Amino acid sequence: MTDTYNKPGVMSNTPEEVEFELRAHIGSIWTGGRLFIGMYTFMIAALAFSYFYLRSSNNSMEWRPNHVTAPTAYGWAIYGCTAAMSLLAIFGQSRLRKGQVADWLVAGWTAVGIGLLALFLQLWEFVALPFYPGSSGYASTFIGFGVMNVITLFVTTYWLETSVARAHAMKREFGAGAVLAKTAEARSWRANVASMTYFQGFAVLVATMLLLMFYVL
Amino acid sequence: MTISAERPTDVVTTPPSINGAVRRGGWFSQHLGTALVAAIVGYLFGHWLGNHVAGNYPVVVNSGVNDVANFFGLLFGVIGWLLGIGALNYPLAKIAGRSGIEKTQDVEGFSKYFRYSTDHKTVGLQYVIGVCLFMFTGGLLAMAIRTELLNPTIHVFSPGTYIEIVSEHGTIMMMMATSIVLGPLGNYLVPLMIGSRRMAFPRIEAFSFWIFTAGYMVIFSALPYGGFPTGWTGYAPLQNQAGPGMISYLFGFAVIGLGMMTAGFNIAVTIVNYRAPGLTWSRVPMFVWSILATAALLTLATPVLFSAGLFGILDRVDQTAFYVAEHGGSSYLWENLFWFFGHPEVYIMALPAFGIVAEILPVFCRKPLFAQKVGAAGMIGVALLSFFVWQHHIFQSGINPDMRPLFMLTTELISIPTGFIFLVGMGTLYKAKIRYELPMLFSLALFFNFLIGGLTGVFLSDVPVNVTVHGGFFVLSHFHYTIMGGLLFAFMAGLYYWLPKMTGLMLNKKIGLWQFWLMFVFFNLTFFPMFIIGLLGQPRRVYTYAKNLQGLNDFSSISAFILGFSFLIFAWNLAYSWFIKPQKAPANPWDSLGLEWQTATPVPEHNFDRIPVIMTDPYHYSEPGAQALADLGGVGSSTGNPA
Repeated sequence: MTDTYNKPGVMSNTPEEVEFELRAHIGSIWTGGRLFIGMYTFMIAALAFSYFYLRSSNNSMEWRPNHVTAPTAYGWAIYGCTAAMSLLAIFGQSRLRKGQVADWLVAGWTAVGIGLLALFLQLWEFVALPFYPGSSGYASTFIGFGVMNVITLFVTTYWLETSVARAHAMKREFGAGAVLAKTAEARSWRANVASMTYFQGFAVLVATMLLLMFYVL
Repeated sequence: MTISAERPTDVVTTPPSINGAVRRGGWFSQHLGTALVAAIVGYLFGHWLGNHVAGNYPVVVNSGVNDVANFFGLLFGVIGWLLGIGALNYPLAKIAGRSGIEKTQDVEGFSKYFRYSTDHKTVGLQYVIGVCLFMFTGGLLAMAIRTELLNPTIHVFSPGTYIEIVSEHGTIMMMMATSIVLGPLGNYLVPLMIGSRRMAFPRIEAFSFWIFTAGYMVIFSALPYGGFPTGWTGYAPLQNQAGPGMISYLFGFAVIGLGMMTAGFNIAVTIVNYRAPGLTWSRVPMFVWSILATAALLTLATPVLFSAGLFGILDRVDQTAFYVAEHGGSSYLWENLFWFFGHPEVYIMALPAFGIVAEILPVFCRKPLFAQKVGAAGMIGVALLSFFVWQHHIFQSGINPDMRPLFMLTTELISIPTGFIFLVGMGTLYKAKIRYELPMLFSLALFFNFLIGGLTGVFLSDVPVNVTVHGGFFVLSHFHYTIMGGLLFAFMAGLYYWLPKMTGLMLNKKIGLWQFWLMFVFFNLTFFPMFIIGLLGQPRRVYTYAKNLQGLNDFSSISAFILGFSFLIFAWNLAYSWFIKPQKAPANPWDSLGLEWQTATPVPEHNFDRIPVIMTDPYHYSEPGAQALADLGGVGSSTGNPA
């Protein structure tokens, strides 16, 4: 048995260690972004499973009486906003990679505005539905989809807004070139933007699938 | 880029990641007290809002129950709790552009355990107390169940109260068990075992703990609402017909699910990215492998539970009909969604237990771990297969009979990777000179208990046997043997093994031996008779039974009381060893080769003075001339082989 206490020393901070930790941090943002997509996929898969399970069961012939459908105008408008937000985020990031920070900021703020509009439309759609929540299997799953879409839009818009706001804060704190610098702060931020954009791209794929399920089929 | 073994010597005293650190403290800062106050205020506001919104709805007026108000109360209560503890400070500040890599420096001293700490070691110890509180309250409910079952005709509780106690006990214990290892030991030890100075997302880690405690309170809030009668599985349509306590169950599951997802997410990302240089996957300790497999299950299976809970809440609050067949829904939908999470959850509980004993066995056998890679493969295999077995839970209730053989096969298949892990243990024990210290005793008990639980599980996976014993005490005994006999014994082994590192204090061995023998003997005397009781036909969740089963039930109940007493002995051991007669722990009391024992005790905030370079796996016991585990950076600091 070792019977001596180790004495804690001071933390070293060699350039190698700093670089190692920064790479681990950036790798975490990359891995976290992909794992988040995995979590989101399983959450949405539960909704999709419910939709097809109830649709194929058609219990009491109440899956979708009279083929009632949620307002398609709202559906397409919300989808359009979601797609526009994602495309703007992707466009912004491609411009950022070319060093066009102003383009990224304009695209980012525009996408945030569109995201908020989509959020508002999704909430407003709830008071414009032509059916009661429990009137059919379709109606129930639609409400579930609506709530999940509110959560999705909130998360994507929040992630986008915090990225854009941080870019402004960095410019304010460190100067105009801060966003594209090789500092730890800037590299971390760019990794975050990349993960956010990747998720936005995935979210629009999911939105397309859900649009087809709830408004087109 | 790699960190070479030849290290530069420049050293600074300020951690680089703490930029603009803000030290919080004092009575007016955020802590447990402010969280409680904010939770109460949030609950009252939410309840008022719900009454204001839905008080005049016909369904509310006709039933006299306002689920909207109950749900809003709990929702705003949880939000208040998070605001009060400070969990939302950073997410709100980020809206204004605050940096993502700034770190808030924690308050020093004992009060840090009552605050939103971002130090993984503090969070780990917070979890220790949190899960013990969970376990203690769930255990009290178990005592109430066994008290009622002392006599089939003289009753302590009414039938309704009894099923509420059973439901609350099951839910509390299952929720506690999902986090019992990953929370305390995973959070504390994983960074130390992989040579990291931090977690990948410390704020998410802290969030996972405080949302876990919120979930605990939400589930307990069912009792003042009149409880819920569904057992821990919450089956529809009873779920839709139950009283307002059902909201606490559904929302509690969703809240704790959020905690499980975030905890698993953070730990998985940490293991993937923060392993020290040289710590290749083949050198990763078995405990870390088990936690990685568990974290993967948590992050991928729990979102399904979250969705299922959301649909259940919508059924009650917004009058949707997900689980109501008359309106196009289906009660089987809940069963499928619930068990898609519920069966991986079984392995969420089992895998960390195997990880703990795989870590402990070589230390007390003084032998290398037998077939380490096979064990790791077994853990991955169990994790993957666990997604394909859930329908064996619904062999009796709605599954297409033609599908039964397929799920019988997948269920039996999972015994193969489980067997791998078991054989790793047996191979390590073979011809070993065992040191019978407390962690080893608890580990050996796990193999004995889990063998019984596992073998009965193989029988249960067969459809004919399943049809016969389904819903009875045989099943109940089976899963108590696997979860309590496996996980809880492993947790105790882990606590006796690692608490000296975590607290710097040894636990008393004599008191521990009393606890172990009482717990081991009376665990088996409590639950083994239940196999017989079940085969004789006693169903679960019923407050009475056939008169001829009273002898076995009384034997089981009395054993259960002594088993409960053994946990009080553990609580006494903690109090005695920490406060009454504290005994300072040596730096490495078990002569372990594990990396977590090679850093200073108590562990400094930055874990390692220098990022270690790993050179081999940590199981080369009794191998003269074996390579040192790691280069910790100082002169002569390579950890040797104590053989």
